[in-house]
Amino acid sequence: MEHIGIEPGRLQFSWISSAEATKFVDVARIVTDAIRALGPNTHFAKKLPKVA
Amino acid sequence: MIEYNQKIREIAARLLKEGKVDMVIGFRKGTMPMMNEPCFIKKPEQANLLVWDSHCGINLANYLYDRKEKIGVVAKGCDSRNIVTHIVENKIRREQVYIIGVPCTGMADKRRIALLTQKDGEIREVSEEKGRITVKGDKFNKIFEKGEVLQDNCSTCLHRNPVIHDEMVAEPVPEQTGIDPFKDVRETEKLPPEEKRVFFKNLVADCIRCYACRNACPLCYCPTCFVDEARPQWVGKSVDPTDTMTFHFLRAYHCAGRCTDCGACERACPVGIRVRQFTKKLNKDCLELFNWKAGLTLDERPPLDTYKPQDPNDFIR
Amino acid sequence: MKWIKIEKKDFNRGLSALAKAYRLLGPVKKEKAHAFEALNEGQTPDFDFFNTHLSPKFLVQPQSEILFEYSLDEGKEDHHILKEIQKDLLPRLVVGIRPCDAAALLLVRRNFDASKYRDPFWVGAYESLTLFGLACGAPCATCFCTTAGGGPFNEAGLDALLVDAGDYFLVRPITEKGEGALKTAGWENAVDEKTALDIVTLLKTAAESRITSTVETDHLKNQSTVALYDAPFWEDVSFSCINCGTCTYVCPTCWCFDIQDECFGYSGVRMRNWDSCMYPLFTLHGSGHNPRGTKLHRVRQRFMHKLKYYVDKYDDGIQCVGCGRCIQSCPVNIDIRKVCKLMNSHPDPSTVCPV
Repeated sequence: MEHIGIEPGRLQFSWISSAEATKFVDVARIVTDAIRALGPNTHFAKKLPKVA
Repeated sequence: MIEYNQKIREIAARLLKEGKVDMVIGFRKGTMPMMNEPCFIKKPEQANLLVWDSHCGINLANYLYDRKEKIGVVAKGCDSRNIVTHIVENKIRREQVYIIGVPCTGMADKRRIALLTQKDGEIREVSEEKGRITVKGDKFNKIFEKGEVLQDNCSTCLHRNPVIHDEMVAEPVPEQTGIDPFKDVRETEKLPPEEKRVFFKNLVADCIRCYACRNACPLCYCPTCFVDEARPQWVGKSVDPTDTMTFHFLRAYHCAGRCTDCGACERACPVGIRVRQFTKKLNKDCLELFNWKAGLTLDERPPLDTYKPQDPNDFIR
Repeated sequence: MKWIKIEKKDFNRGLSALAKAYRLLGPVKKEKAHAFEALNEGQTPDFDFFNTHLSPKFLVQPQSEILFEYSLDEGKEDHHILKEIQKDLLPRLVVGIRPCDAAALLLVRRNFDASKYRDPFWVGAYESLTLFGLACGAPCATCFCTTAGGGPFNEAGLDALLVDAGDYFLVRPITEKGEGALKTAGWENAVDEKTALDIVTLLKTAAESRITSTVETDHLKNQSTVALYDAPFWEDVSFSCINCGTCTYVCPTCWCFDIQDECFGYSGVRMRNWDSCMYPLFTLHGSGHNPRGTKLHRVRQRFMHKLKYYVDKYDDGIQCVGCGRCIQSCPVNIDIRKVCKLMNSHPDPSTVCPV
């Protein structure tokens, strides 16, 4: 995805099992902060079709 | 490669006469310069219809599945790798196909030839002999070395000889060496994210959503493609730029680890979009992350199908 | 017949005058082929082309066109009401459209402007156009307009016809719209009728003699529909087809579309997109049944529609103007000329005496 222009850090992956509640909270916080720092996503965001 | 004509015809006629196959799929001469039409023959007398030259770029593996007959098919290197992929994916059975292997020295890119002769006028006739392609118009006669006018994927091809065959039409040709097939992908990888975005946006700007790329691809055989789904509708059907980009990169993902870079998609595109820029990146990743190239062996399953403990996962926190 | 002469060096001046009253469109050279685009201030259209890659039908029927909009926001007064979008119908002048494409628009109009149904979007867009055709001096190898009801110098569907005569153009106003536009451009230098006609006839004959592609359509009307439908050649014709839809998208006489609603939050639009009978979903019923489920069905239907059903319905020739775009763009080289010949010469069993 980074190859087609999504900024590094916007798409993140994590393995979290249902028993790892603490990890879930931590990852959610970290990722939310990271994305907020990147700012709103303007690419690949479609509202109404941009056509004639 | 026109030397193969005779041999292909002879093999096809023999297979049909002996009843080894019910039909043979190959090419017949097209009605326009630089075009050939995929066709099938069912009788040995029709074998003289079959032709083979440097304009047989369409991947015949596209016509193999969902058929009940025993099929003989003329296959070059990349085609044969697609046939292997089909067998691994259970789309066709090995016993159902008789592969007539053709060692390929590359296919000519008709768009490149047209661009090189644009100022001279309309192309009336194209012929080839011993690695040279002669292009004739009303007022010009140009000769090109085949290497000058090859399709993009052919100039970086590392598997010119069929990897699987029941009979070969000729002796194998030497494989190309010292080539980096991912040179252009590396160039794009170096760009900053903004420029990458612009590069890909411009790449698909002309797309008219005709789906020729998808339909020419032998790997795209889903009964209902994701773009055709309506409940729920994943991707819009209009030419909205976001939807168009989604179609292209999502299709590339579905071909990840399976694409053999046969170039049929680029060849089929009516507006000349270089759609392989999407699939090549994924092919490179497959090679570097999983040491995998599609369609080389019947014995292994592709990486997206299997789990190995040493699969790279340092990107997952 | 009035003929007006325009020196090529004066052409741009006339275009600038026209630009004050119309939005100008013309063929422009892009990287790989020509395309019809809006002309900028002072931009000359490039007439050095056979024909554009995509047909100009998008000028009347854009590939994706928003027709209606609606809002689901109950705070708004007009919520839940489908409102027609106000289309921009300012006059447009297309300079350099080929006779085949102009004739195609007339052919398509039969579908969108019938006595029972009138498509206001299509008709509105069409009537806002003034078409200045450019006669074909050198048709290419895949052009077969002369046997498809047209010709390189044909005037059907045009408001004026430009003929390139070397250092100058000869223009013939065909309709009142054309007359008016020529006047706006200041192109009123009429020349001697006979001289002009002689020059044009010479060029026309030369152009027509260059056309080597032909189709035979004389028997199509008399062929039995069922006999053609059951003909054995369809398997061979349709084998290579990959159902990609390219032929329908580049064809100036194909008109099928699909209506879709798309929404985001509380607002939505209803739009029309080009659709193709080549796609498997084109005839998929709500029940799940698909009457044209196989490739053979769909390929057969397309050629039957173009070369038989349209002929039967309107009795005015085939639904094809011979532009040759489908032949050039088809990735597997399916050739309508070949299929037309097969259909035209098909033996009709009902006329053959049983032995």
